[in-house]
Amino acid sequence: MKNPDNKLQQPELPQGFSTETLKTIAVVGVLVFAFTNWNMVIAFMVNAMIFIYRLVGHNFGIAIILFTILIRVVTWPLNAQQMKGATAMQEMQNDKEWQAIQKKYAKDKEKLAQEQMRVYREKGINPFGSCLPTLIQFPILFALIPTITYAIGSTPLSLLRLSGYVYQAQNVATLLPLNSKFLWMDLGLPERTLFLGISIPILALIVGLTTYVQTKLTMPPAASADPNDQAAQTSKMMGYYMPVMLFFFSLNYASGLAVYFITSNLLAIIQYALMGRVNWRNLFPGGQK
Amino acid sequence: MKKILLISVLLLAAVLLSGCTGSTTWFGLSAVGDVAYVANNSAVHAIDLKTGNELWTFSGEASSGIFSFGKSPKLFVVAPIVTADGTVIIANSGNDHDMYAVNPKDIADPQKPIPAIVWKFVDVKGHWIAAPLIVGDHLFAPNADGKIYVLDLKDGQSVKKAIKIIEPFKDVPSKPERLWSQPVSDGKRLYVTSLDHSVFAIDLATYDIVWHEDLGGAIPGGAVLGSDGMLYVGSYAKQLERFDPATGKHESVLKTNGWIWGTPVVDGDNLYFGDIVSGVGGYFYSYNTKTGKSNFEPVKFESEITASPLVLPDHVLVVTESGNIYAIDATGAKTSWFEVTKGKAYTTPVFANDSVLVSYIEADYYLIALDKDGHKKWTFPAGK
Repeated sequence: MKNPDNKLQQPELPQGFSTETLKTIAVVGVLVFAFTNWNMVIAFMVNAMIFIYRLVGHNFGIAIILFTILIRVVTWPLNAQQMKGATAMQEMQNDKEWQAIQKKYAKDKEKLAQEQMRVYREKGINPFGSCLPTLIQFPILFALIPTITYAIGSTPLSLLRLSGYVYQAQNVATLLPLNSKFLWMDLGLPERTLFLGISIPILALIVGLTTYVQTKLTMPPAASADPNDQAAQTSKMMGYYMPVMLFFFSLNYASGLAVYFITSNLLAIIQYALMGRVNWRNLFPGGQK
Repeated sequence: MKKILLISVLLLAAVLLSGCTGSTTWFGLSAVGDVAYVANNSAVHAIDLKTGNELWTFSGEASSGIFSFGKSPKLFVVAPIVTADGTVIIANSGNDHDMYAVNPKDIADPQKPIPAIVWKFVDVKGHWIAAPLIVGDHLFAPNADGKIYVLDLKDGQSVKKAIKIIEPFKDVPSKPERLWSQPVSDGKRLYVTSLDHSVFAIDLATYDIVWHEDLGGAIPGGAVLGSDGMLYVGSYAKQLERFDPATGKHESVLKTNGWIWGTPVVDGDNLYFGDIVSGVGGYFYSYNTKTGKSNFEPVKFESEITASPLVLPDHVLVVTESGNIYAIDATGAKTSWFEVTKGKAYTTPVFANDSVLVSYIEADYYLIALDKDGHKKWTFPAGK
């Protein structure tokens, strides 16, 4: 076959296959791989954590923070795509053509869906663009819980399971058990600080607060403006329920996980700020208007 | 509708997740006289060894008031111990870290048998993993916070404060000083192992640390005094170490294939113990303290061995993680003694009242009583 421009030719995709479809298939493939090779994923993360722990002079708190930064860096493109997808979907709500087809086919759901897909295609928007990157982060989050629990090894069973996950090359016999003390906390235990005789879960409160701030700051402006916008209202509710959920989670789980949540929240705010997508006004009542 | 569904899912997830402690481990098991005690995470059950029926159960005090909101559940995993007067010492390994002494003779409601609390000790910051040890009138309780709490058992009164807190790691605050195994004593000294690789001896008269040695590997199990008067300890350093209890001078007497988890068991001049070899399984060892040699080549198993072996008159029983139990004779020959279809076994078995008691996790029962031939007598709960 002739190639007069002497350029590498892009292989043609089968009919009906867009780049976005391929991305979706790739994400699903990664998810299927992760969940069918769950022990391999945990083993990789456990060993990465131990490697960092050794590197930073046996400080597990610093290891968790660096590990979180590493995860953020690795998933940066995914997060960026998620932000882009979310913004595109929000902007779509204000698109005149979009609003017109909503009205026109309000009673014909099948036709409406066809028209919506056509508009998505024409504008180059992947309707799953904002949720696929989130989905791919689920295995990481799910694997982090056993990773931190096993690595801290605060019970015989968790230490035994850790023993089964570490690579031979790590030579951890002299390293175990890992030092779980960080600042005033034991990372293997839920954090409580006594104040005037009352036990206060400071770290869990910080998790709740940073989650609230992060969700609020990173909420697109339109998300909190239109009361009829289903997606916007769901985002708004997430702003209230996620902090509550993670607060309860941090209340009873090892504080090492709370350190991860706080670091992750702060890094998310930084990432959004660097991309110029932080809405500081969302933090204040009436600031969204 | 979608909103309600989303909120419900999130709240359900929050409740479920907050209900988990993330620290569940295998069960504690002990037996004294005709009663077996199993700490199955949620409670301690006292079981009549003759019938397999429950005598009483203890799951701590019920939380009440606004400060109990979000409180973590109690977790019972430490093998209960019984004092000379029948008081049962129970540790809560949950995040409240409380220890109870209960009186099984004092049960208010026979329909709902719960023993009365004699005293409660709460002044600790770490998990209880090790069973405490009674020496004379004192209870020596090692904690995962690196301290040994000495409590007075004499008057049976409330001991809200320890009469002595031994802090072997006071000068090394950055080390992970978890004390996970029951100490051993010769009456004059207490020998304690820690997960941070340390073995140390404490003078029981002065509570001073007499000597302190580093083994170079984590020590999840305890020390044992051999018939030769020496102290033996296994560790993650893949060797059995012999200590002179007087001086702490030590040497490796046997190299192993894997990490030694369980406390070695003494039977005359012989020591028995197992190990864990990641990805392979485990090996069983028999070491003669008199000759200083192994009695036979290590016996290989398909799964790991965390439990200490159980010595019976004709053979030694080895409980493996798979739940299967094997009998090893004096020549090292292995025969299958009991097989399970479901469950994992990590807890050291106990022999009491002509029964071999084995505790399982991830099974249909917490405890099974087997006769001397490995046949089932009963399970707890029954009917499984």
